[in-house]
Amino acid sequence: MGDAPTDNGKRFDPMEPWRGVRDVYLDAWAKTMVDMVNSDAYAQATGTMLDTYLTVSTPFREAIEKAMLKTLEQLAMPSRADIVSIAERMTNIEMRLDDMDAKLDAIQRLISASSISPRTGPRKALRQSKKTAQPKRARRRTK
Amino acid sequence: MAEAPVITDPFTDAANRLKTLTKVMTTRAAIAQTPKELVWTLNKAKLYHYIPVLPKQKRHPVPLLLVFALMNRPYILDLRPGHSFVEYMVNNGYDLYLLDWGAPGPEDKHLKFDDYTLDYMPRAVRKLKAISGSEEFSLLGWCIGAILATIYAALRGDEGLRNLILLTAPLDFSNKQGLTFARWTDERYFDVDKVLATFGNMPGEMIDYGAKALKPVENYIGNYVKLWDNLDDPRMVEAWHAMNTWVTDNVPLAGGAFRQLIVDLYRNDRLMRGELIIRGERVDLSRIRANLLTVIADGDHITPSCQSEPIMSKVNSTDKELFRIAGGHIGIMAGSGASKHTWPHINGWLAPRSG
Repeated sequence: MGDAPTDNGKRFDPMEPWRGVRDVYLDAWAKTMVDMVNSDAYAQATGTMLDTYLTVSTPFREAIEKAMLKTLEQLAMPSRADIVSIAERMTNIEMRLDDMDAKLDAIQRLISASSISPRTGPRKALRQSKKTAQPKRARRRTK
Repeated sequence: MAEAPVITDPFTDAANRLKTLTKVMTTRAAIAQTPKELVWTLNKAKLYHYIPVLPKQKRHPVPLLLVFALMNRPYILDLRPGHSFVEYMVNNGYDLYLLDWGAPGPEDKHLKFDDYTLDYMPRAVRKLKAISGSEEFSLLGWCIGAILATIYAALRGDEGLRNLILLTAPLDFSNKQGLTFARWTDERYFDVDKVLATFGNMPGEMIDYGAKALKPVENYIGNYVKLWDNLDDPRMVEAWHAMNTWVTDNVPLAGGAFRQLIVDLYRNDRLMRGELIIRGERVDLSRIRANLLTVIADGDHITPSCQSEPIMSKVNSTDKELFRIAGGHIGIMAGSGASKHTWPHINGWLAPRSG
């Protein structure tokens, strides 16, 4: 019976030899494919395919975008560009909030430092907290 | 008394296998289970703080910030309970933070390395310092995250960066013949501006195709053959399910950052040549003075070792180590041997430098 255990405790598996052949075949195929994808010919072929797709699809994509834009205008709905613009503004607001958060952290440190060590004095504590709380101010995100 | 062999009929056996196969192919595994809190957000980026499990006196005072690649989800670092780098580090007393870049939308197509390294990272670091109360921190970057970590370390390394860990870092692009991606994105064959004009951001599916096409037979066939052969092994199925959940969860790469990756790095190798300009500042690798650990995967087909080694001679760190380990790009951190080899080495290197 096929399911009976063999001497070493494993079940007899009639597919085992086939698996061995399969693995050898897959290994050989894998090596061939790695060589193939790492060739200039493959890079050129995929580049040409991608370029063709982009060239062919662009007029359709643009036509759909124009039609969609007009439809949304007619329906008094915001377009993708409107939403993108709002999202960019939101990010800028978030950055302003983050700046304020940094300043609040600095103030909080100043208060903690003052209350813990009255001899340190507020000026020294402020210098210490300024040093630590605010990273170098980076420029706003630009396009 | 010996147990009688369990005899199942072939039809039940096949039905069970198909049931397991359907489950793992159509559902998401429970991943990223280590408890954490969201402590900071900016646009799509989120900074998580993992809840410590050790009392403060037993924890390392210097916190660790993890930065993963832009085009994959960072939960590969916290894949599943019992097999998670995050869980391992938290259990070893690290005050751990993870910067999740999130998925860029159409409004983020202009985001560049400049924004990630000079807006997002410094702000996340400020928050990390405010929460941890530490003026110093360690930074671990993996893959594209290692590029960001390197740029940050060169430009803002004087803001408390004590230890820098780079995992499978693609930094040197001079060996064009050895880099399949460099061949594919050569300007003769690949029009990056046309792609970005069409898509805005580089679609996650295209990035996924690129990564898988490096080893097409292994990724498109061998991976599933391996699953089929091991469907009776619940541990193997669980591991495969978790990894498949991560592999199929792709995010786009912001157009600006993708363009820099291709033009500045893959085509012109500007980072290693000292010609990369980030918001008007030249990225000078010799300004990196933090303690440096570079981890190289010997079997890495995405980032061959020739891309990670040269950083060692460019930095000015007096304390630096190059650690080579057998394994692949992802396998060294998320494979079955990671908990025995890579994680203990990182912990062994970082612990004495985190006091």
